[in-house]
Amino acid sequence: MKIASYDIVFQDVPGEVTLSLNLSQCPNRCPGCHSPLLQDDIGLLLDDDMLDGLLDRYGHDVTCVCFMGGDREPGEVMRLADRVHAAGIKTAWYSGRQELPECFRMESLDYVKVGPYIESMGPLPNPNTNQRMYRIENGEMTDITASFRKKKG
Amino acid sequence: METYIVKRDGKHEVFTIDKIKAAISKSFLASGAFATEEVMTGILSHLNIQSGISVEEIQNQVEVALMAEGYYQVAKTYMLYRNRHAEDRETKSKLEFLMGYCQAANAAEGSKFDANANVENKNIATLIGELPKKGFIRLNRRLLCDRIRTMFGKEVADKYISLLHQHFIYKNDETNLANYCASITMYPWLLGGTKSIGGNATQPTNLKAFCGGFINMVFMVSSMLSGACATPEFLMYMNYFIEKEYGEDYYKRADEIVDLSIKKRSIDKVITDYFQQVVYSINQPTGARNFQSVFWNISYYDRYYFESLFGEFRFPDGEKPHWESLSWLQKRFMKWFNQERLRCVLTFPVETMALLTENGDVKDKEYGDFTAEMYAEGHSFFTYISDNADSLSSCCRLRNAITDNGFSYTLGAGGVSTGSKSVLTINLNRCVQYAQRMGIPYQNYIEEVVDLMHKVQLAYNENLKELQSKGMLPLFDSGYINIGRQYLTIGVNGLVESAEFLGIEISDNPRYTEYVQTVLGIIEKLNKHYHSKGVMFNCEMIPAENVGVKNAKWDKEDGYVVPRDCYNSYFYKVEDSTLNVIDRFRLHGVKYIEHLTGGSALHCNLEEHLSKAQYRQLLRVAAQEGCNYFTFNIPNTICNECGNIDKRYLKECPHCHSTNVDYLTRIIGYMKRVSNFSAARQVEAAKRYYATM
Repeated sequence: MKIASYDIVFQDVPGEVTLSLNLSQCPNRCPGCHSPLLQDDIGLLLDDDMLDGLLDRYGHDVTCVCFMGGDREPGEVMRLADRVHAAGIKTAWYSGRQELPECFRMESLDYVKVGPYIESMGPLPNPNTNQRMYRIENGEMTDITASFRKKKG
Repeated sequence: METYIVKRDGKHEVFTIDKIKAAISKSFLASGAFATEEVMTGILSHLNIQSGISVEEIQNQVEVALMAEGYYQVAKTYMLYRNRHAEDRETKSKLEFLMGYCQAANAAEGSKFDANANVENKNIATLIGELPKKGFIRLNRRLLCDRIRTMFGKEVADKYISLLHQHFIYKNDETNLANYCASITMYPWLLGGTKSIGGNATQPTNLKAFCGGFINMVFMVSSMLSGACATPEFLMYMNYFIEKEYGEDYYKRADEIVDLSIKKRSIDKVITDYFQQVVYSINQPTGARNFQSVFWNISYYDRYYFESLFGEFRFPDGEKPHWESLSWLQKRFMKWFNQERLRCVLTFPVETMALLTENGDVKDKEYGDFTAEMYAEGHSFFTYISDNADSLSSCCRLRNAITDNGFSYTLGAGGVSTGSKSVLTINLNRCVQYAQRMGIPYQNYIEEVVDLMHKVQLAYNENLKELQSKGMLPLFDSGYINIGRQYLTIGVNGLVESAEFLGIEISDNPRYTEYVQTVLGIIEKLNKHYHSKGVMFNCEMIPAENVGVKNAKWDKEDGYVVPRDCYNSYFYKVEDSTLNVIDRFRLHGVKYIEHLTGGSALHCNLEEHLSKAQYRQLLRVAAQEGCNYFTFNIPNTICNECGNIDKRYLKECPHCHSTNVDYLTRIIGYMKRVSNFSAARQVEAAKRYYATM
């Protein structure tokens, strides 16, 4: 699994200060994709050392780490998410797939977004979006997609 | 080959002897004599005209020639004639400036000498303020140079002027005679009214008198300062008078109707009406300040800061200030002010929330949450954090160590009286590049310049003491300002640009850390070296509203490397989109600001407001990174068509859907329309990177 870039973001995971890891080699190829560059084989290998380095740099300042993509290797996303959890930081995963993979474990994640990007239905803040964002708490998944809409005006 | 002379405007013109002859003839006639051809030839034979000579030089030669030939009376007439023309030229240049000012797009663009005027309008009053600025600059330089000469010798005085002219250093607020800015204690006012500073008001004895008198007092104090006036005790005193009027538990009965008029106002309404009176009055342009409004700052405190600063405080009647009611009033004022700003562009007061931190978080959780809530509601204010209530930021550009938290029955709370007497700023970009050109280590050259700056500041201090000894500074004499707690400030500009020139990457990396610590360390070392009884120095990264633009322009003209049109007021490149929000806090964190004893502010620019939980986390980030002074800057949108103000950054007015919108942003420390900035400043505002989310 490769990482193309990272950033500190505020809108992708509601209420959290998030270190977003933008993963490349995306297999989904959604038409109208907002970051087509992430379909390419670019960036550096996101291994334990790389992740630990990033946590070292930003771990004590953020409340959440979000894996943006990674559908090529969902098992690796789960494994690295556990590593983030071990550092006492919440985890989120933006998957572009409609269905969660077999290796998905609720306890590895605090937030998960599912659904491909469909141009006619729009992204998360769009009322017609097909995408869904869930908060995972005590083994239960709550749909929090609506929280992306409230502030826009 | 033809001979050219250089005219006063720098243009070249073919030399002809006729003009000289005509001027000499006129002088003879004016002295009641006549120059024969022979006399004329005798005089002209003294002249030595070479191509490239200036008009002034030729005229100097004519004077000497007239005297050499023995025509002393004519020479005198000729000199008077020259002088009259020089005066005409000065008037003409003032007239040109006047016309130029009238035609400038806004007041900041029109101002030639000191554009950091918090002036929104451009009119006859602001023009009257502009005209004598050049005279003030000359007068201030002369006063200072005379003193430097007496104290340190002619060489140092000449070096000062030379460094000023070559823009290695910049004397801030040279267009004003008064000392710079101060955070005042209002205790002397509470004891004796404004009589001690030349007013006629007795001490306030009730809420109405307090609010009315406060406005007058702030105007009076501001007229004797060139910069900001901070009143960190404003709400505490107001709270005291509200309690006197409505009881110590007034805040628990805020809905109670206390007004017998047909308006039937509640306690809350009475209080907010007073807020309105004070805030709107102080935001008025002021006649005595050339239509500038006063620059007014206030502070809010968490419980721990309050206890540290005012734990021993007693009002003149022996009463203690009460935290519970003051806390309610602080919150009420913030909420009211945030809402009021939707109605009107209100620049002042600049507000600072002072929070004590512990173990990487805000200690007073209630105030941490409230601060985050106010940011989330779109309010724009500064936060100052410290893990020890040993310092306080009372102004957008001033952080001061509190040397004395004691209380006295004549001066009030010791901790709040502070300020900066004078700011002198070093242009680091030019210094570093010049040192490189000369082949000397930049550290040595910076040390040489900074050492001289300290001498200049000491001379300034002596002048101030002399003014005080003549009774010219009643603010000091009457105890509003304690001169012993006022700093002489070494300002820093062009730090990022100088590092860029040296090929250092502007990010949190060991090389940049070392560079910043080295440069600021030199200044701190000298600040300590020159410290003595009654003389304290501090160092601040000045907000480059005006100096940053000037330095960049001058440096560019002189062929130095200038990466942007306005030198940064931050430790990062303002337009750098690769630095994330946490990187920015880190670059204003403890490693970088350690030696900035006088402060710097992180203006964290965001495109959209965050949630309360996110702002709360950023308070933790600030505490963990040791970034002690910051604000969040989300441009507010103001519609040029319907006047609607929205706290968000929008391309279109949500009310009338016009796209003719302007933005309110905090560049200098206070909110102002972007279109009221001078042109170069607007460019910077447009380039500024707003972190997208």
